[in-house]
Amino acid sequence: MLARNLLSSVAAIAVAAGLGGAALAQDVPTVTIIAHENPGDAELAERIEASMAEAGTPVDIELIGIPSSGYPDALSLRLLSGEIPDIMYFQGADAEFANQGILEDLRPWIEQSTYLKDALWAHNVARLENYPYLLYVFPARTKSAVVRSDWLEESGLAAPTNLDEWTEFLRAMSESDFDGNGAQDTYGILAPDNTAELDAIFNPSFGVTATWLEQDGEWIHARVSDAERAKLEYYQMLYAEGILDPEYVTSNWEVKEDKFYTGRVAVVMGTAGPVIDIYRTKMQEINEGSDLTLLAPPDGLEAVNVAKEDRGFAIHAMSDNKEAAFAVLDFLASPEGQFIDRLGVEGEHYTMNGDTVEVLPAMGTWYPRFWTVNPDYWSPPVDLLSDVGQGSLAQGAEYFVPDNAFVWPAELASDVDAAEQYYRSSVFRFVSGEWSMDQWDQYVEGWNAAGGNAMTEYARTVLP
Amino acid sequence: MSLDEKQLAAHLSVIGNVPKTANLRTALGMKIRAWWPYYLMLLPGLVYFIVFHYYPIYQAKLAFEDFRIFGDNLWVGTKHFETLFDSRAFFQVLANTLIISAMKMAFVFPVPILLALLINEVRASGLRRFIQSAIYLPHFLSWVVIAGIFIAALSPSSGVVNEIRGWAGLSPRGFMTESGSIRWVVVFSEMWRSAGWDSLLYFAAIMAIDPQLYDAAEMDGANRWQKIINVTLPGITPTIATLFILNVGLFMNAGFDQVFNLANDAVRDQIDIIDTYVYRIGLQSGQFSLATAAGLFKGVIGMVLIVAAHTISKRLTGKGVW
Repeated sequence: MLARNLLSSVAAIAVAAGLGGAALAQDVPTVTIIAHENPGDAELAERIEASMAEAGTPVDIELIGIPSSGYPDALSLRLLSGEIPDIMYFQGADAEFANQGILEDLRPWIEQSTYLKDALWAHNVARLENYPYLLYVFPARTKSAVVRSDWLEESGLAAPTNLDEWTEFLRAMSESDFDGNGAQDTYGILAPDNTAELDAIFNPSFGVTATWLEQDGEWIHARVSDAERAKLEYYQMLYAEGILDPEYVTSNWEVKEDKFYTGRVAVVMGTAGPVIDIYRTKMQEINEGSDLTLLAPPDGLEAVNVAKEDRGFAIHAMSDNKEAAFAVLDFLASPEGQFIDRLGVEGEHYTMNGDTVEVLPAMGTWYPRFWTVNPDYWSPPVDLLSDVGQGSLAQGAEYFVPDNAFVWPAELASDVDAAEQYYRSSVFRFVSGEWSMDQWDQYVEGWNAAGGNAMTEYARTVLP
Repeated sequence: MSLDEKQLAAHLSVIGNVPKTANLRTALGMKIRAWWPYYLMLLPGLVYFIVFHYYPIYQAKLAFEDFRIFGDNLWVGTKHFETLFDSRAFFQVLANTLIISAMKMAFVFPVPILLALLINEVRASGLRRFIQSAIYLPHFLSWVVIAGIFIAALSPSSGVVNEIRGWAGLSPRGFMTESGSIRWVVVFSEMWRSAGWDSLLYFAAIMAIDPQLYDAAEMDGANRWQKIINVTLPGITPTIATLFILNVGLFMNAGFDQVFNLANDAVRDQIDIIDTYVYRIGLQSGQFSLATAAGLFKGVIGMVLIVAAHTISKRLTGKGVW
């Protein structure tokens, strides 16, 4: 009898707890977020949930992590299966999903937001006007050049400020043996895979000021302009003199970093802000006592694409939890959300000494998973970036110039792809000297035939 | 032991003596009942092929539609094929696919045969086993690793190949970045990876040759070379013919993993193949229907090639793959 009563009581409690739990679960919306897989994701989600609950907007966050390697492809495949989470982090291939009405227009949400509307950067506002489906509240992803401070000092040269000084500086680096291995095997500069990172700092020096340039009263793509030709001639000289690492085209970003840390290349470019800080931290781990110096670009930085975000977060337009999904994105732009996302884990990346935040060395390896808001709106209580990281952000802001590139229609996808492939192969042939600059006209013809004609024709209907 | 009626019927059907007027369904049913353990073992393979090889054929209709993640796709007829055939890039990747496949067929296909013949001539069994193990090993490496090995070995500044060239007084060459050499790198790396493993089939075929044929050849005074030409090679010809036809069927598969890992911007236009194009246009640019059209085109060409190779082989040698 006693056993039966006990069992009945336990059963009643279990049912009540189950019903209560179910009722609670119904009240708290679940927001699924698909993004890069990172250690500590679950802990981050818990902290966001706790803070949002405290702020009166409880949500249950379900983070779906995808490994960074091959992320865009894995994401596309997952979404194609029809399993679409509430919030998606894209790194390309988002346009097709937007065309099919799967991505929410974020503008009305941002207008009514509590925090996000004030947290945006100028380029975010411009990009949202052109393409309102993707948002990445982050400084413009400009590239900055860095060199080891001790090498700069040893060279006896001042940091270069114009193109001639840059050339001399890079030449001096390539003729040096600052790594002390007894061989002149250090290259001046390295850009991984292609010349894109060189373009980031050298484009303006040759007049490549935008994707589309006006030449003889007509819009032409910069890639077939006289300015591009002059730039490639310069790269050809860097390559021929052994200043530019001749194996740049077979070096990916990992090889670039390895060569930089092990003294086989003097100058590399990195994305302003946290990435530059990660370079600094890794350099210091490998070469104790070393530091990085930020180099000013010779004539400003490459124009920033404001046609659309090239990466960022989107909301599923058909989600039942759109409000909760946007609430998460909005909360992450709030001071509380920024504190959680940008400072990392207490005890690992920072400590609290009373009310004062003290940054720990591991902060150099932490990066915000969501937003880095406009500093006029909110700044962290302590400098999270080193001087060089902070300087790179300031450099990006100082030289910010909006580009005139636009989003291509799907019909031109194969033309854009073909012209891009042709350009990339041709650039190496010019830079390596396999093609002489006298073959420029042939290259222009080839680029136009590969898809450039269709692109230019369309561009002339879009550009003012 | 006597056979009951069903077993007898099944036996007759297997040996082909079932009257042609017999109901086919009944004959199949009798076969299945009689040989059910074997059909059961066949089942997983059958399911695999239906799910992963035949169902996707049905889904290839996407090439004639505009893809919709939600709702029905829109029928657009041959629009995507027209876009493909209007694109110079597609003909470039088609040409690259055919050239690379032809090079592999000409230079890679014979190597396992030669290897098997050579290994067969090694008399010391310990040495033979060592050689076999050594040449099988690359087969187990992924293309990511192999690409890393080749990029390092062919580096103009620190690669072992260019160091050897240096000893011979030759200037270093960027094999991975020169348009004239990259296809050879693709062919050679394929040979390095698969020749040893592929030789296994030929070696097995050689082992199956009746030893009395060698004894007879020896009694007729044949030397080792003559025995290879007159006994071994004819003995493995059916295997060579079958594998050749199967390779022709895979002709349009020039090697996605391999090209994807070996390609770089300097030479992509030389080794960009249909598979990498489909990947780039489909997955990276999100043009799924266009990519499916390219993939379907490749599949149809592959199908035509294998039927043609089978027919020609059947007429010339009396042997085909079905």
